[in-house]
Amino acid sequence: MSKLLDLDMIGVNSDSSTSMKPQEDVILRMDKKYPIADFFPYLIVSDNIRSLDGKTDLLLIDIFQRKDAIKRKVKRGLGIEISIASARKLEAAMAGRWLKEVKSINEFCQSNNCQFILSSGATSVNEMISARSFESILNVVGISPRVYWKEISEWLSAKTKARWYHAKS
Amino acid sequence: MYDENGLYRPFQIHEKIVLRFKELFGIFQSELAMLKLYDSEFGNIMIVACKLKYLDYFLVSLTLTQPALTVVSLSGTLKKLRKNVSRLGLRNIKNNPS
Repeated sequence: MSKLLDLDMIGVNSDSSTSMKPQEDVILRMDKKYPIADFFPYLIVSDNIRSLDGKTDLLLIDIFQRKDAIKRKVKRGLGIEISIASARKLEAAMAGRWLKEVKSINEFCQSNNCQFILSSGATSVNEMISARSFESILNVVGISPRVYWKEISEWLSAKTKARWYHAKS
Repeated sequence: MYDENGLYRPFQIHEKIVLRFKELFGIFQSELAMLKLYDSEFGNIMIVACKLKYLDYFLVSLTLTQPALTVVSLSGTLKKLRKNVSRLGLRNIKNNPS
């Protein structure tokens, strides 16, 4: 599927019960480190600012929430993720505001040494978003896609846990 | 690519995409983009044409439309696009909600 969407890697929500086989283009997203993390690249993801700790790689935020609460808790190198799925259901005016807030969150991330991440929030194949569509959103809100992909690649490679390990057999 | 088991047929989805385009970028831009639905030979694929200049606006509108759609191929010609899509073998991709 990643090749179809022209993406190098796809994040997949998982817990200890996944039956997936390790693949180079998949990163598991989990709320804490499960034993299966020994066999996969993974990221610890949280959607609750209160539960944020040093082990959290990625914080999924509501784009319309107040940023001062986030600012107090974020640490350098934290990934801040915005999900596109929630924007599909918005009325036109709010969808327009959502696009404006994407740029605002990107600026917030840059000034706080965090990594801005745009994700599909897909729960099915039909909700997945191609690389070209991501780039269109970035172009429309005024973020350089080239810079975005470069920064996210560097951030992922810096995350030791997200590097592909050839696992225990 | 769309969910062929969903409530909407391609022409209805096309109407929703055009409406979203108008809501986000205006009626004038929508007219200039000339979004046109073409017949697809596949049950879960729809083909929509768009002026190249407005491609970014179109993809944003498509991404922010309900029901959800996935862009699987882009091409400058209809013939090449149909060929690309037929090669993808999309019916092999299963939808596993879990």
